[in-house]
Amino acid sequence: MEINGVKIDNTFAEAFPMKATRLIITAMTLKWAYRAANSLTGFASSVIACGCEADIERELSPDETPDGRPGIAVIIFAMSKSALQDQLTKRVGQSVMTTATSACFSGSHSDKMIPLGRSLRYFGDGYQISKKIDGIRYWRIPVMHGEFVCEETTGIVPAIGGGNFMVLAKTSRHGLTACEKAVAAIRKVHGAVTTFPGGIVGSGSKIGSKYKFMPASTNEVFCPTLKGQVDTELDDETGSVLEIVIDGLNEEAINKAMHDGIHAVCKFGRKKGIYRISAGNYGGKLGPHHFKLWDILS
Amino acid sequence: MGHTLVRPLRFTLQASLKYELNISSLTPDNLKGKSKKQIAAMKLKLGRSTVTVASLFSISGSDSQKIVFSNCENKLIRIGENMTQGSIEISGNAGDYLGQNMKGGYIEVKGNCENFAGAGMTGGKIEVHGDTGDFLGAATVGNITGMNEGTIIVHGNAGSRIGDRMRRGMIVVFGNSGEYCASNMLAGTIIILGKTGAYLGFNMKRGTLVLGKKPIHLMATFRDCGLLKIEFLRLLFKQLALSCEQFKVFSDFGPEALRFAGDTSTDGMGEILILKNARNRR
Repeated sequence: MEINGVKIDNTFAEAFPMKATRLIITAMTLKWAYRAANSLTGFASSVIACGCEADIERELSPDETPDGRPGIAVIIFAMSKSALQDQLTKRVGQSVMTTATSACFSGSHSDKMIPLGRSLRYFGDGYQISKKIDGIRYWRIPVMHGEFVCEETTGIVPAIGGGNFMVLAKTSRHGLTACEKAVAAIRKVHGAVTTFPGGIVGSGSKIGSKYKFMPASTNEVFCPTLKGQVDTELDDETGSVLEIVIDGLNEEAINKAMHDGIHAVCKFGRKKGIYRISAGNYGGKLGPHHFKLWDILS
Repeated sequence: MGHTLVRPLRFTLQASLKYELNISSLTPDNLKGKSKKQIAAMKLKLGRSTVTVASLFSISGSDSQKIVFSNCENKLIRIGENMTQGSIEISGNAGDYLGQNMKGGYIEVKGNCENFAGAGMTGGKIEVHGDTGDFLGAATVGNITGMNEGTIIVHGNAGSRIGDRMRRGMIVVFGNSGEYCASNMLAGTIIILGKTGAYLGFNMKRGTLVLGKKPIHLMATFRDCGLLKIEFLRLLFKQLALSCEQFKVFSDFGPEALRFAGDTSTDGMGEILILKNARNRR
């Protein structure tokens, strides 16, 4: 398959099950909601070492938020319920509650709930107030800027991590320019996020390493500098490979994100240095979710 | 294909009552599955005597999940007591203990009701278009906690001791309230948009009393925390406005309020929030 002169490999992205929750962060202004959301989603690129994967999903208008202020929706993914709960308490406590004028609400509705304000309320040192509105419990925690309002729990839902595609380009400049457009297209897809810096992975990894203490290491078959040393996946003209990793709340979201992202990249075409699209998989051994490039793009 | 119209089960009071009539058994829960004949034969307590439903009411319709009492007066007591589902509409006035210990469903009173409406309720909604008596959403006689969940809306005025010992839930009074509003309150939210009587929050331990008008008198045991933006009010008013037609008015309300914490003669963790620009409200 070829789109605008860009070769599409007949391969698939291999993804795995995760647990996720969506949070709604509001503040006095959108700028301060972003401050909280950026802090919460900082150092959350990969579960390999960050404990969770998280990113901003989209901006929310005052009409869309529980308290009528501008807000940001973020999605946090982890490998288990307990890991997600642990990360949630730490990140909301240290990044959202500490942001001036912020409030935090659940953006996921599910039968399975995990503590949000229920864990953070103790910061109120006995002055916290519980309030129930229309069947939902909130905590009002007195803080120095006023009060931090936080929903008691948030819904935990099954999710998928590790949807991906790789952009093989003439140079990093060519690849990065196209990938930026892809990330912009993916940001418009609800329920899908790209958790790496700028949504782009510069150092895609394979599982394992020659060193036993390393759970993941460089994906040498896609490293341009090793073309002469290893059984490479790259041809002579490819000088840079960038990967876009997508986590989503369901298969549809990842399918659409990959579809829109790849098309955004392919618009640049071969003439602008984009040569090939591939995807990362482990022979189908890692995860049950297989996103086949040809199926997605056909 | 035509549809069969299922009419609400309507009880029309045929004569003026000399004594109080306990109609707590006429709820959607109790009447579910009963025939009109069975309902007509049900026994009710009128004062110290026992009468049948048919001797005092004419009965029409068949939908026991939508009950209508017509031509009502305030000697009809315990309407909707312990109900868990369905709706009851009262055309006229209702007596004492309306919706006492109610657990779910909806009661609408087109006129006024007497004392202890919603006392001890643990769910559902009561809406009174007229005025209510004392002890609205309070504890039932002999109990230590009042209303424990649910919503009460009063479009007129309410009497004294609103939310006495209230534990959870929400009471909204669009008119005025009597004395000792939120007395002994344990938690929950009361909103009074009209004038309030003396001894607000007497012995209040926790909970929130939101006032739309500045009170004439505030006890010295409530401590002034100043004019603040209470972020919770922003959430409360938006969610109330979204929740039902009756609360749309709250979409105009802002978060700025004078906060008074008390009653310091007891735990002192309650709060009275007097909305800024309160005088401009209805």
